[in-house]
Amino acid sequence: MRTIILFAATLLIAIAVNTAAHAADPVVVLKGLDNPCGIAVQPETGLIFVSDSAAGKVVKFDPKKPLTSTDVITDFPISSYGKGPEYAIGPLGLAFLDKNTLVVGGGGLDDGAELLRVYDVSGDKPIKADKMKTKIGPLTAGDVSIKGEGNFYAVAIAGNTVYVASNGDDTKGWVLRADLGADSPKLEGFIATKEATGLDAPVGIAIASNGLIVVGQMGEISVPGDSLLTYYSPKDKTLRAKFKTGLHDIAGLAYGKTNLLYAVDFAWIDAKQGGLFRLDSDLKGGVSTKKIAGLDKPTALAIGADGAIYVTVFGSVKKDAKKDSKEKPGTVVKIIDTP
Amino acid sequence: MPRLIAPVVVSAILFSAAGLSAQDSSPPKVPLGLPPLSVPKDNPQTPAKIALGKQLYFDKRLSRDNTVACASCHDPAKGWSNGERFATGVRGQVGGRSAPTIINAAYWPLQFWDGRAKHLEGQALGPIANSIEMDLTIKEAVERLNKIEGYKKQFQAVFGSDATGETLAKAIASFERTVLSGDAPYDRFKAGDKSALSEAAQRGMTVFFKKANCTACHGGGNFSDGAFHNAGIGMDAKEPDVGRFAVTKLLGDRGSFRTPTLREIGRTAPYMHDGSLKTLEDVVEHYVKGGIKNPQLDEEIFSLRLDAKQQADLVTFLKEGLSSKSYPMIKAPELPK
Ligand code: HEC
Ligand code: HEC
Repeated sequence: MRTIILFAATLLIAIAVNTAAHAADPVVVLKGLDNPCGIAVQPETGLIFVSDSAAGKVVKFDPKKPLTSTDVITDFPISSYGKGPEYAIGPLGLAFLDKNTLVVGGGGLDDGAELLRVYDVSGDKPIKADKMKTKIGPLTAGDVSIKGEGNFYAVAIAGNTVYVASNGDDTKGWVLRADLGADSPKLEGFIATKEATGLDAPVGIAIASNGLIVVGQMGEISVPGDSLLTYYSPKDKTLRAKFKTGLHDIAGLAYGKTNLLYAVDFAWIDAKQGGLFRLDSDLKGGVSTKKIAGLDKPTALAIGADGAIYVTVFGSVKKDAKKDSKEKPGTVVKIIDTP
Repeated sequence: MPRLIAPVVVSAILFSAAGLSAQDSSPPKVPLGLPPLSVPKDNPQTPAKIALGKQLYFDKRLSRDNTVACASCHDPAKGWSNGERFATGVRGQVGGRSAPTIINAAYWPLQFWDGRAKHLEGQALGPIANSIEMDLTIKEAVERLNKIEGYKKQFQAVFGSDATGETLAKAIASFERTVLSGDAPYDRFKAGDKSALSEAAQRGMTVFFKKANCTACHGGGNFSDGAFHNAGIGMDAKEPDVGRFAVTKLLGDRGSFRTPTLREIGRTAPYMHDGSLKTLEDVVEHYVKGGIKNPQLDEEIFSLRLDAKQQADLVTFLKEGLSSKSYPMIKAPELPK
């Protein structure tokens, strides 16, 4: 099936989102988060690490003991995103290189100053954000990027190579790359997704089992249904396939245990339509989009050691919430998809 | 009447036979450089329908006092706009926004400066009923059409019924989908014809795609992302036009308007939603100074370091590079009696 995608010429197939979902009830496994934006599962332990973005930290929790978490990295810089609604954001995308090495994409610094940070998370005590093991970047304003790069929404790792879905130069839409095996790794512009697809904002990123880089192109937040699912060769950067998904704003992508591809849709234009979706490719090279669960502004997802799907969700302050309640509406939810 | 239907003027556009749904017919052919065009499944393009839509588009009888047609404000001779700052409708009434071009409107994911209409079909009845544009209720419009033998026959032939609001909109929309511009010197240059652009235009092209950041919004085959941005236009007014905000009520959309296409931009002055900039030189100057500051100004608008020559080259690229030899210069057809 996937070979078809590989060899199909660049295809654009509009499809309708199948909303006749089979019921999958999200269970809240962590709450009180402030704009959670990234999630990764630690190899070997199965512990789940989350960017509690507006709180400027990365926390971890054991999915077998839900609703309690501990701080792993604290004091990330925070900035604001959007012009109304405005969201505070700090650390964004997360990915593990190995059990003890966590890569964190930043979002709290200006474009052109933003960093990709690598931490050793083997210790028990919380680490200050600027005590990273390796600092990668920034990619400053210049020929590669008119404004310099920032808002590293998602990171994916293949071997020693890190791919970063970045925002900065909107004429390019860079997927950046860094070689973690190098003595002093650098951030380089790797795939100019906007030039390849004509659409803005690479946000979700994952690596397919055949090695292709899979990018969820969010598109314009003010244009409905324009998100694309795209496949690039890591060897020559070429766009191998692009599909319309019918989703508004793909914010995260991940492969499940059985190699099924999942996406979360933030749906800026109408949060009621957001949620977790499965993107099934059919033999004709198209994609059919199935809604698995409705979610209120989901941002990222990862597959747990148990095979369940864990999703970070911004949520909204409930209308009937007590005025003095300071609890933030962000959560991690667990969803079991039974295809 | 058959003579009217016969030659569909727009070249290079092929349409499937009636009856096929858009999905199983091949999509319309589009000029070089434009992306594939999708046609709603329930309104496939047919030559007879396009010919009918064309007559309706040019017919002033669709206005209360028989003085205004779609073509009055979206005139093929004036870049499918009207050459004025604002649009003038029946009884000389003037609206508050500039008339956008119809060229490539088929590509908009949302219609109007603020995206309040979804498809061309959803847009077409608006101006007829609008009291300052054509000021005719749809009921009246349909009654008028069904009294005109030539129209009644065509609606019967194309839709199998008399004119209705729905079929009126569908016919006009089908015609509008043929108003396309591509195959400009820029497209030919890109396709390998290195003589297609003058040297100044080539330099301007580089400025456009690189230093000037224009493609952050004016990217892709239609030179627009189809999205809404605040470029600061009119934001220094006491009560600025809030644009997209009126539709979404999201603060971030205050003062946002849909990015216009830049194809045939040399023909559609004055510019911007309020027609406030007279020339392309003025437009470039606006961007060079970083737009007009306001809390919702798009982060992709910032002051640019372009010297006078680069600015002039940029204008040359816009004028020369994006004006097509196969501009859709469509003449008004003979109208049914
Ligand atoms: C009195 C002048 C006037 C007349 C007559 C008129 N229009 Fe318009 N048209 C406008 C203006 C002004 C706008 C922009 C309004 C806005 O965006 O708020 C517009 C917008 C449009 C758009 C949206 C294009 C875009 O870029 O989003 C289309 C399509 C359109 N008109 C088609 C028509 C058709 C079809 C007719 C005849 C049925 C028609 N117009 C009659 C002035 C006119
Ligand atoms: C942030 C997105 C953005 C960027 C960057 C941008 N534009 Fe625009 N452009 C727009 C929007 C939105 C409008 C309509 C604004 C309005 O009317 O309020 C527009 C309008 C225009 C118009 C007038 C079109 C018409 O039909 O009235 C021209 C010409 C133009 N832009 C050229 C450029 C050039 C040249 C550049 C690069 C120097 C550029 N734009 C950069 C979004 C952008």
